[in-house]
Amino acid sequence: MLNLLTNNLFLFDPLALFFLAVIFIVSLPSIVYSFSYLKGEYSTAKILLAQVLLLAFVLSMALVVSVSNCLIFLIFWEIMSLVSYFLVVFDTKQAKSIQAGLIYIVMTHIGTAFIIAAFMILHNYAHSFDFFAIKNACQAMPSQTKDIVFLLFLIGFGTKAGIVPLHIWLPYAHPQASSHISSIMSGVMIKTAIYGIIRFVMFILGVNSSWWGILVLILAVISCLVGVIYALMEHDIKRLLAYHSVENIGIILLGVGLAMFFTSLGLPYLAVFSLIAGLYHLINHAIFKGLLFLCAGSVYKATGTRDIEKLGGLIKKMPQTAAYFLLGAMAISALPPLNGFVSEWLTLQAFFLGAFNVIGGNKLFLGICAAMLALTSGLAAACFVKAFGVTFLAKPRSHYAESAKEVALPMRIGMLILAVLIVIFGLAAALIIKLLARVSGSTLGIDISSMTFSLNNFTLAPQTARNIYLSTPTLALWLLIFGIVGFVIYRIFGRGKSVIYKTWDCGYYKLDSRNEYTATAFSKPFRVAFSFFLLPYRKTQKIRESFYHIKSFSYETHTTKVFKKYIYDPVLAIVFKTAKAMRRIQLGSIHLYLGYIFITLLLLIIFIGQF
Amino acid sequence: MQGIILFLLLASTYLMVIAKRMPALIRSFRYQSFFLFLVTFLAAFNEKVIELYVVSGMIILVKVFLIPYFLNLTAKKINLDENLGLFVNSQLSLVLALIFTYYSWVLSVNLGFGQGSLQSVAVTVAFSVIFIGAFMMISRMKAFTQVVGILIMENGIFLFASSASGGMPFFAEIAIFFDIFISVVIMGIFVFRINKLFTHIDVNKLSRLKG
Amino acid sequence: MMIILQIILFILTAPLLSGLITKIKNNLRMRKGQSIIQPYYNLVKLFSKDEVISETASWIFRVTPFIVLSSTLAAAILIPVFIFASSAHHMGDFLALIFIFALGRFFLALSALDTGSSFGGMGASREMFISSLVEPALCMVIFAISLQFSSTDISAFSGMHAITVSSVVAAIALFLIVIAETSRIPIDNQETHLELTMVHEAMVLEYSGRSLALIEMASYIKQMIFFFLIAQLIFPIGGLPLGNFVQMLLWVLWCITRVVIIAITVALVEVSVAKMRLFRVADFLGFAFVLGVIATVCAILGV
Repeated sequence: MLNLLTNNLFLFDPLALFFLAVIFIVSLPSIVYSFSYLKGEYSTAKILLAQVLLLAFVLSMALVVSVSNCLIFLIFWEIMSLVSYFLVVFDTKQAKSIQAGLIYIVMTHIGTAFIIAAFMILHNYAHSFDFFAIKNACQAMPSQTKDIVFLLFLIGFGTKAGIVPLHIWLPYAHPQASSHISSIMSGVMIKTAIYGIIRFVMFILGVNSSWWGILVLILAVISCLVGVIYALMEHDIKRLLAYHSVENIGIILLGVGLAMFFTSLGLPYLAVFSLIAGLYHLINHAIFKGLLFLCAGSVYKATGTRDIEKLGGLIKKMPQTAAYFLLGAMAISALPPLNGFVSEWLTLQAFFLGAFNVIGGNKLFLGICAAMLALTSGLAAACFVKAFGVTFLAKPRSHYAESAKEVALPMRIGMLILAVLIVIFGLAAALIIKLLARVSGSTLGIDISSMTFSLNNFTLAPQTARNIYLSTPTLALWLLIFGIVGFVIYRIFGRGKSVIYKTWDCGYYKLDSRNEYTATAFSKPFRVAFSFFLLPYRKTQKIRESFYHIKSFSYETHTTKVFKKYIYDPVLAIVFKTAKAMRRIQLGSIHLYLGYIFITLLLLIIFIGQF
Repeated sequence: MQGIILFLLLASTYLMVIAKRMPALIRSFRYQSFFLFLVTFLAAFNEKVIELYVVSGMIILVKVFLIPYFLNLTAKKINLDENLGLFVNSQLSLVLALIFTYYSWVLSVNLGFGQGSLQSVAVTVAFSVIFIGAFMMISRMKAFTQVVGILIMENGIFLFASSASGGMPFFAEIAIFFDIFISVVIMGIFVFRINKLFTHIDVNKLSRLKG
Repeated sequence: MMIILQIILFILTAPLLSGLITKIKNNLRMRKGQSIIQPYYNLVKLFSKDEVISETASWIFRVTPFIVLSSTLAAAILIPVFIFASSAHHMGDFLALIFIFALGRFFLALSALDTGSSFGGMGASREMFISSLVEPALCMVIFAISLQFSSTDISAFSGMHAITVSSVVAAIALFLIVIAETSRIPIDNQETHLELTMVHEAMVLEYSGRSLALIEMASYIKQMIFFFLIAQLIFPIGGLPLGNFVQMLLWVLWCITRVVIIAITVALVEVSVAKMRLFRVADFLGFAFVLGVIATVCAILGV
């Protein structure tokens, strides 16, 4: 049992290398960004501490994905969780940070407990902590044990990834951390949980039952919808982005779940394709969510508030940040020809191709899941129209936004790197899919040398269907050409004069920023349409001077936090009640405590004496 | 010879049980440690092992002289009432101590040390000393007694180790002695602090400190 | 190239379709109505007018007309229409179509918020609401269609194919979706500028002159694309039979007639029903989704 430090402690197979690439791609711009983000917020000593913690965080994540021993994996997993906890509560002046940190650390440790339980069961069968030894032993494991281990891993890693209903820490922890930390946490740390699922469930346990894939798919669809619906209601930029992380984890898990489903049905090429879709969305999400959080941090740093209802008109004051945020918003709404479009297209295509190849009711199930994915991408686009539009466009809504200035150079460079990567990952899709095919082939243990994924290096062609292609460079080219054609028509055919004047104000003379559409108003149709889930309620208060004259009227509209109210609060109430009941044995007297120990000792000796 | 010394050890333990004041307790502890020293010295003499001589020397130095000296010093510094508060009055304590002794005799027989042999007598005495030490911690009110209770238990453990298994490794014993000594010093400091803070060392009154 | 020629033909005939629908509606309302080529006159008029740009607007406002037009044209390339049943199918498929339209819509909504007027915000909010509910229904319809042809490529069903129950139901669902996408009653009213009743018009309220002409062009072309898709589903037609002149003529006539039939149906629907409350649009599109599910089930059953 004590063969902890075997020779092969690290494992750098394609999956680990892929995740290392994800980690470093997102962490490096954040580190560049942090140089000017932290300046002026804290004292120099505290900034140094923040940077050290950041480096420790990145290093621990890199080590988590590259070790091949369960115990060492757990050690680095814990280090990652603890360091990120410190980073979440770093701004100790705000009470919200402490609360967020508490929720985060409790949830992540609950998840770790489940992972440890799964490891213990695996060790029972394999008598070793090494991945390959466990993989060999898992082939002989009975099916019920595999099911239990799968569920333990799903809950354990799901807590860290943010699958609904275990996502509750995400909207608390991500807004409170500093923006570059949020970008790393949301972009990379959640993905290490997906790494855990892929590594332990697909690579080591081996998927044999189809209900695993179906469960993951259902959970993923629920996460997508819940995440995006809550995101639509949020007006704190970073909390909005945190809920979008929940949604995108759902989309990634759609790809992974499909891969599990197809592996269990014996469709290897489709499984490889679905896993490619999931992994592609993983790296895409890391990049554009990292970029969006950095932009949100720039906005926060420049204006001092995260509430988008108080912002507006920032596109004129912070043009570069606005451009980067727009690029990130376009990527997350899956607009061509950027990277989000490619990965969502791939996921949808995986559903469709799967539907062509499975039988009966499974087809309908896959179709409905695909429709739900389309719904979430539509809702996500709506949410980002709101986020970008209310924050950056129109007139400033408060003094916060009026005094904004463009941020410093390191922050802009950090954002630029990620923005360039978004475009590259969109245009070079065919190349990246070739790389990802190697990763998923090696993870699933399937030989991919006979799969042809692209004709030339610019077009994608999923092998298992005929005549389906996607070529983002061609698309971008045609979009550009038609844009130029439109511009030419514009120039040639029209009269050249443009007059700058006030916005149409229906004859009212003085319109100001109070007439602009607010974010709450923007999301009202969604609030009404999804009211069965959001359970909105309103509080109004009228202060009257007389019956006819109302001096002031305040109106608040809230949505019920369904998960907190119906799941977490009752569970917490039960836990506290039990703890209170057990407090009765604690009377405060040392003699009583010593007496407890003594009597236990005596009883133990009698007990052992019986045997 | 050894049987008589073991019996005397047990007797000194009973003396501790019926002690009602601090000086009496410390004196009995001194006797107990002295008899322990005699047992170890005899064992060293019989087996002619140098280490046991050193160990017995340490017993007499630390447990017979140094530790009681420190305990007396602490008692004088606290400058309070010498009475050890008794939860269980001394007659009942003595009855309980006898029950513990019987119980440890049954235990030593069950553990298979052979009825009537010297080893089983030693194990009996050792176990009863341990139980009585624990009992002292529970049934006396002052924090001071808990310190002494630990020391008594340590004596019992040492006796058990040396009789049942021929002694612990040498360095373990040195380390344990050092530990005990330091713990006494620290506990002396603690008791002083408790007294200064609460103006009493009646642990019973500390029962407000609960979760 | 053939595709370019096809596109130019497509663009030139798109406003005609819109004019036709308006003419039919007006005739049904017992009016003489405007002529069929009125949209062309409108476009020429718009091109000759000055443009007024709001002072709160940024570069997004100016760039949007080009993006909207180019995304619609890029979508048009993907559709195999008219004489040459080929398309740039190496570029994308049916699924890519949804996202390409989303690109135009995204920027249009942003430009609506850009001007800072309440109309724009309202239009953007409603438009994003409607379009996000259209997406699952559209995906279900594409799923049903693709199941029949085992491919999501649009040229897969551009040839002759049997009319199955599945494709009819899918066509009905697609019809409902098209009403939503092209802003027709009962979802939206293209003829009004009242705050209560506008969605698309509210978004483009601030546009004028040449930019408005480009955006109007884009909406005509989008409508044309959708009508062609529906027509191909219900009244499938093969490639152009070269050789016999009469056959070619008949083919062209049939090609045009089927689109006109769809246009007449749309006009009839617009005249007969009233515009729905915004929050009931969810039910309407939910019904389209259910129709899509039924079409899928029919396709699975092979009917």
